[in-house]
Amino acid sequence: MKIAPRAIVAGAVVALLVALPLVVKSSFALDILIRILLFAFIGTAWNLLGGYAKQFSLGHAAFFGLGAYTSTLMQIDLGISPWIGMLAGGVAGMLASLPIGWLCFRLRGPYFTIATIATAQVLMLVFLKLRDFAWGAEGTTIPNLGNAPLMMQFDGKAPYYYVVLLLLLLALAITAWLERSRIGYYLVALGEDQDAAEAVGIDVPRVKRDIFMISAFLTAMAGTFYVQYIYFIDPNTAFNFSISIEAALVSIVGGVGTLLGPLIGTVLLETTSALLQSWLGNLAGVQVTVYSVILMAVILWRPTGIMGFLAELNARRRAKRVSS
Amino acid sequence: MVEIVAQAVINGLLIGGIYALVSIGVTLIFGVVKIVNFAQGEFVMIGMYITFFLATQLGLDPLVSLFVCMPVLFAIGVLIQQFLIRRVLGLNDLPQIFLTFALSLLIINISLMLLTPNYRTVHTGYSDEALHFGGLYVPVAKLIAFGVAMLLSGVLWAFLRTTDLGKAMRAASQNREVAQLMGINPNRVFAVALGIALALAGAAGSLLMPFYPAYPMVGQVFVLMAFVAVVLGTLGNVAGALIASLLMGIAESLGIQFIGADSGLIVVFLLLLATLALRPSGLAGGRTR
Amino acid sequence: MAQALIVKNLDKHFGGLRAVQDVSFTVQENETMALIGPNGAGKTTAFNLIMGFYRPDAGSVSAFGREIVGLRPHDVCIHGLARTFQVAKPFGGMTVLENVMTGAFLRDRHPDAARENAREAIAFVGLSARENTPARDLTTIDQRRLEMARAVATQPRLLLLDEVMAGLNPSEVDQAVGLVKKLAERGLTIVIVEHLMRAVMALAKHIVVLDHGQKIAEGTPTDVMSNPEVVRAYLGASGH
Repeated sequence: MKIAPRAIVAGAVVALLVALPLVVKSSFALDILIRILLFAFIGTAWNLLGGYAKQFSLGHAAFFGLGAYTSTLMQIDLGISPWIGMLAGGVAGMLASLPIGWLCFRLRGPYFTIATIATAQVLMLVFLKLRDFAWGAEGTTIPNLGNAPLMMQFDGKAPYYYVVLLLLLLALAITAWLERSRIGYYLVALGEDQDAAEAVGIDVPRVKRDIFMISAFLTAMAGTFYVQYIYFIDPNTAFNFSISIEAALVSIVGGVGTLLGPLIGTVLLETTSALLQSWLGNLAGVQVTVYSVILMAVILWRPTGIMGFLAELNARRRAKRVSS
Repeated sequence: MVEIVAQAVINGLLIGGIYALVSIGVTLIFGVVKIVNFAQGEFVMIGMYITFFLATQLGLDPLVSLFVCMPVLFAIGVLIQQFLIRRVLGLNDLPQIFLTFALSLLIINISLMLLTPNYRTVHTGYSDEALHFGGLYVPVAKLIAFGVAMLLSGVLWAFLRTTDLGKAMRAASQNREVAQLMGINPNRVFAVALGIALALAGAAGSLLMPFYPAYPMVGQVFVLMAFVAVVLGTLGNVAGALIASLLMGIAESLGIQFIGADSGLIVVFLLLLATLALRPSGLAGGRTR
Repeated sequence: MAQALIVKNLDKHFGGLRAVQDVSFTVQENETMALIGPNGAGKTTAFNLIMGFYRPDAGSVSAFGREIVGLRPHDVCIHGLARTFQVAKPFGGMTVLENVMTGAFLRDRHPDAARENAREAIAFVGLSARENTPARDLTTIDQRRLEMARAVATQPRLLLLDEVMAGLNPSEVDQAVGLVKKLAERGLTIVIVEHLMRAVMALAKHIVVLDHGQKIAEGTPTDVMSNPEVVRAYLGASGH
């Protein structure tokens, strides 16, 4: 009885999202929508590790960058399609998450976070130095092939919109499935109390490792998409700290550990950002100032984010109904 | 060759003193309040800008500004404890990590808006002077910075060991429940810890101005060093943070000298990663929480 | 009768403090044994050692014929040992049902089966009415019940209960004692750490007494209670 209305709403929303580019034609608006879907995707990937399992990484840019560079290298050096490159990038990210996880999970709490920041920074520094292998600090553009769907290049923005929408739906599907499965419960359990989780038979290090791999895989795919979208890559863009921040931010504001939290958080933050930009232009520091104020407000008053707030309202409403 | 190494060691040691002020603050807050202050670097930056404005508007020497910065930042620390940190104590990791992280972003970006990204410098009579020992070149400004940093560290050390409040802080750091049972008021202890940590950061800011430019993101460099030093020196261990900071200054300096000008950061990161891999609980052992 | 748990020469020190010194005891299958002693005697440390949260400096622990020293806690749990914590550690953000399901998942990965098993364990401890309550909103005694249900849901053969009676009023104690007895009737081997003598007497025929990390007495309740060492340990401790 509970499931049916939700499925209908979900279906309606997906239909709406699919239909959107048919209605919205402005390149500028589509760009905003693509950014929203992209960061919702990255946020959803982050949420698996950071929201459910409460391992707060601020180094997800590492995987974004690895995905971006993997597909670009494969494309430019070997002529391989970015579609395959995207999967290869995902695998690269996944593999990288093993040593990164091994190192970083040795620390808990905030020091885990610091370690992840450090690893992303190290990767940026490494790629800044890789002149011969990967174009160093200057980066590179990818050749503009016009309309070349097989090489993930399109005329107009709508096709990019659909690609990233598919990625987001993939990530949401994975999250929804995990939520209901044993791993989902294990994730939340270890996020709440690692020792108690071990005591009920949960192999905590292994669960952490597995979810990190999935999170890294998805985030890396986002990196590939981004390069294809902006036709450019350099270490500063690919491994930028702001990507790591936004991945965490949208999930926290929207509601960590919830399915739709990252999406809702992204919608809120990106539209705020777009509005700010149209009012104030590109004044340095404004956007992040507003973001950080929102983050602080959420943390001080509603750490469970927007979804948590809605859940609370819902619970109060239900309690009233029961008592009346 | 020996001279080159010695010079690099001296350079590293001197800047290590500044790192020490920042990292002691971080480790003190972590030990006592059990929170990682991601914004510690931003308070160094605030100290630098205060010093800059006092120098340009009132002609105050940075060493004099020290006596303004430290109390001002102490007060800011107490306010932050009262109005921000207190509200997330006892909650889980998320609020505790992201509150100070958000604060860091906020301070940096407001500074970007109000102060612009331009570098600000202060030039004092001794900014360009240096002492010469044998073949070694010791910039006066840096030597003063190191000296004052060590002095402040020593004072803090004495404070923690001998005064009641200091002992209360150490007790709270080691075992909060027992400390509370013994009647120690946690809020007061936390406020003082925040105050001291920020005052030290502000001091670092003043000491840096004669030879280092101020700009909104300057804190990030120092806080990174601080975090690595804190992990290396064992979380919560003030002496450990001090020694680790000095070591890291030296390591960074040697890296710059022998590997390349921009390798300082990589050396530091490698140190962090090596520590994580080999001895995550730091040089002094202890728990990794 | 087979031996469920054999602890031999268990040793653990933290820095200069010898928390557990040369402790040995054997628990028979389906027996309920009590581990008692003044505060700081090393009882919880012994539990942590058995469950793999700490590694002993010396000694061995074998459960149901298998050496378990060196295993991580989750492997120990898979092998059939479960524990409750002295200070309850529920998964606060999850409901009672979800909490117990995390335990049930150990034996069956399918959510529906886990849910059913969890419901059984919840009914057993009497928490069915609170199935959908978030664990952090429970009263202390209900959190204790939750701990027990979650541990029971892992279908253990040996259950370690760490001071489940602490802070309960007399009628609650009776309920708790009843639950433990029911578990014993189901065939579980149980080791309880307890301060409350009333409960110890009601549940255990085999008692081990620790003081300052060492075993100072072992035997039936009568043996132990009339042992002058034991009397001294308790009186001495209460003189603080």
